[in-house]
Amino acid sequence: MAPPRTRPIQKFAAAVSQCSPEAAVYGKCIVADYNSVHKDKCVNEFMRLKDCYLKASKKA
Amino acid sequence: MNCSSLYRSTVPHLRAAKFLVPTSWTTGAQRRTYAFQAAGAPIHQVFNRRTKWLQKERAAANVEQSRIADFLKDEVAARLCERLLDIKRHYPKVLDIGANSCNIGRALTNPNPEPDPLLPQSGPIASRVGHLTAAESSATLLYRDAELPFNEQINMTREVLADEETIPYEANTFDLVLSSLSLHWINDLPGMLSQINNVLKPDCAFMGAMMGGDSLFELRTSLQLAEQERRGGISPHVSPLADIRDCGGLLQRARFKMVGVDFDDIVVDFPDIFALMQDLQATGENNAVLGREMGPIQRDVLLAADAIYRELHGNADGTIPATFRTIYMIGWKEADNQAQPLPRGSGHINLKDILQSK
Repeated sequence: MAPPRTRPIQKFAAAVSQCSPEAAVYGKCIVADYNSVHKDKCVNEFMRLKDCYLKASKKA
Repeated sequence: MNCSSLYRSTVPHLRAAKFLVPTSWTTGAQRRTYAFQAAGAPIHQVFNRRTKWLQKERAAANVEQSRIADFLKDEVAARLCERLLDIKRHYPKVLDIGANSCNIGRALTNPNPEPDPLLPQSGPIASRVGHLTAAESSATLLYRDAELPFNEQINMTREVLADEETIPYEANTFDLVLSSLSLHWINDLPGMLSQINNVLKPDCAFMGAMMGGDSLFELRTSLQLAEQERRGGISPHVSPLADIRDCGGLLQRARFKMVGVDFDDIVVDFPDIFALMQDLQATGENNAVLGREMGPIQRDVLLAADAIYRELHGNADGTIPATFRTIYMIGWKEADNQAQPLPRGSGHINLKDILQSK
């Protein structure tokens, strides 16, 4: 029997879990003033998080 | 225009005429009752019922995953059935409307539904149920557990409905109607409750549990913040839910008597937002709101939402909590010889004395 298929979301979750420091920085930036969130409010923090995720997903 | 004589001549005629309008309403022979939706008016559609059906079919097709994720529905069904211990009756015919995977049927066969260890064991409630009809629109989900041993301990038939929003049974058929975690996907909840009232025999009870209030508020807020920051706008991801204070009114509007509504919160900890979403999907509880954005959520938004969820609501140990607020409702169909509430002001004992002396 073939091993059970890994869903894309599981790979995604595994990669995201390796970026908790970046995620915390981004989360803090949003939560600091969550009543006035606008587009690209924390774009720099998000790009750092995304870079980390992309690196982690390539490694896997 | 005799009313204008009440006013002194200095009052302009126009003003007097203005006052006449309400007086003619209140003194008229026809007294207006409370406003309600006229029959035949279009029902406000919130959910795509076909999407919901598809989601349930797909969820149940993966038997293993769907059984694992069913823990919440089993727990709520057990809590709902436990309330039947308070009613000392035998129920020849019972209807479970929106049965999902017959979670209520399973809960009724629980050998000891009494949660208090100090009280004597009660035995399964199924012994007081003559026949249970489990009605559900998704056949795959309904028959998922048809082979399990609990089916032999209860006299149950499964019936696939075209749509749960129309109950296809005769009036005055059932001695009890139960419903667990499916009413929150009904578009016309007032109409649904009226239909339930119709199929009940007089002086018989309806007991229902549904998601409501602040269920999944953590998921709702973090997805909103993530979409707002990443894309500059939001689309609905979590259903609009009925509030606890709405439910009493809804039951009364459907002509239920001796209405009782209460709620409890079940908080489940998940490792991350993706595990929560996968569990919702595996129970067929994914988004089916009309007007939602089609297709999956963007990866950027998911990435952002997980970070925000953790920061805003996360537990100290790195898990994330998800709140499920279940509203439990009970209402009785009207009957002539039914116990009635006493008239106001007929009490002789002051509650203050009793409560203070305690």
